[in-house]
Amino acid sequence: MTSPGSSLRVGIVCPYSFDVPGGVQNHVLGLARYLRHAGHRPSVLAPGELGRATEGLDVEDFASVGAAVPVRYNGSVARVNFGPLSAARVRHWLRKGQFDLLHIHEPITPSISLLTLWAAEQPVVATFHAATPRSRSMQLAGGVLRGAIEKIDAGIAVSESARNVVVQHLGRDAVVIPNGIEFKDFARWCPSTGAVLSLSKGSGHLASSSRPSDHPRLIFLGRLDEPRKGLDVLLAAVPLIMKSRPDLEVIVAGQGSRPLPEWCCSLGMISLEAKIALLGSADVFVAPHLARESFGIVLLEAMASGVPIVASELPSFLDVLGSPQDEGRLGEVFAAGDSGALAASVLSVLDRPNPLRTLRAQEAARRYDWSAVGATVVAVYRAALSAAPAPLAETSIG
Amino acid sequence: MTSVEILDLVIIVALIIGWRMTWLATRVDRANVRAERTWAALDAALVRRAQRALELVLITDIDPATTLLVSDAANAALEPNLSRHDRERAESDLSHVLDAVGPMLPSSSSRLESDRARASICRRLHNDAVATALSLRRRRTVRLLQLAGRAAEPRPFEMAEGQFAL
Repeated sequence: MTSPGSSLRVGIVCPYSFDVPGGVQNHVLGLARYLRHAGHRPSVLAPGELGRATEGLDVEDFASVGAAVPVRYNGSVARVNFGPLSAARVRHWLRKGQFDLLHIHEPITPSISLLTLWAAEQPVVATFHAATPRSRSMQLAGGVLRGAIEKIDAGIAVSESARNVVVQHLGRDAVVIPNGIEFKDFARWCPSTGAVLSLSKGSGHLASSSRPSDHPRLIFLGRLDEPRKGLDVLLAAVPLIMKSRPDLEVIVAGQGSRPLPEWCCSLGMISLEAKIALLGSADVFVAPHLARESFGIVLLEAMASGVPIVASELPSFLDVLGSPQDEGRLGEVFAAGDSGALAASVLSVLDRPNPLRTLRAQEAARRYDWSAVGATVVAVYRAALSAAPAPLAETSIG
Repeated sequence: MTSVEILDLVIIVALIIGWRMTWLATRVDRANVRAERTWAALDAALVRRAQRALELVLITDIDPATTLLVSDAANAALEPNLSRHDRERAESDLSHVLDAVGPMLPSSSSRLESDRARASICRRLHNDAVATALSLRRRRTVRLLQLAGRAAEPRPFEMAEGQFAL
């Protein structure tokens, strides 16, 4: 058993490639950074290239299982790995790493996560984000998956709704630990510093200068070409908003391309710095997602930046914002997919600003800072290790 | 079909059934071991929580009423050889007392807080392990062939955790 203060060698498995941005990838990077900062020794296994994602971490903390294959899974295209070659690379990584513990993300996806779970001999902590299979596909896959699920020593779900899926469909339980954000990065931006932004339309970059302050600015962040992110709902709502707010500025940023109306300014993919500045300059942040958002991380980042929130009524968003009946909820919510309701919510935010609520939302987002979230994850590591069998006298391999 | 072919078929079927049974027995065994070990971890975490609470009120300068309240609840939880039911009740009582005296405790109580969170996590892991073990034990094959052996049937540990339920 490891003593409470000891440094842990943690093998983290991310099923999705860092080449593309995504919630799971960001979570894994944030966690690895936190662990390193807290004196542990994380090692991340992921498909594909590592590239810019490694900032703040040592390159030797990463291992790649090679290029990933794009597959449709759980409603979006995921780049994942499978097959004997990947399995061999996973085993090699496990042998070399000598980990105290493995932390596998999205364990039940057709990916290196499942391969690692299969090969694991160490205690396993698994985090369920969104891609937990429903009972039907579990039944089709049969006892093999059941056996893999039983190998998990401690389950973590990123939200209450993610936990419900784990309980109902996998018959397991999980500790709810939300995704982390770098609170200080987002909260540090403050309009009074004068670094106000203007946008050169279509050029895809942000320049520092003053912006016309009387134009309300509406922000959308997320993939433009993925229907479940709900950009279509927002675009249908904007003309309704413009009837009473003709000067509305609409800015969207995210991967993918699609035809956009001429009043909509698209920045394409933006850096973290640009995202922080953009959120800081916004008057309203809209999250029109239609379905299957496991965790409202963009929502939290917007809350941390002090932007008023308008979000669709998804369970995971309500986990963060509070229910529609709740007087103290932290943002406006509307029925997912309802453009009219979206427009009404945006107008109510613009017409009746509620700075107190925005401040409360900012304070609520502080609880999701990595310093708090990471400490809870480590507490789960310790609990899993304390219930793990004492290590046998290791026979050294190769 | 010749008798040799039939024999081959029987052998193959027997092998497949045997393999399935071994696999199931492995899973049952793993689930039982996990239930036992998570219980040991939960037990240790609960003891640590009670000891920390005692330590906090005995060492720090705090009013005697709070000291009495907390030490009584902590001692009740630390009582050796409690029945499962009594232990559950004693631990729940301690949670309620700790919630009630929370504002009175000195700022150095953050270690108690992390012990409480730890106990909460351990309990969830244990009850999860128990649920897995029980669902495997309820399977007809497992009951008929007594794959669970003579290991005692595990039970979830039910207690109130107060504010530190995760």
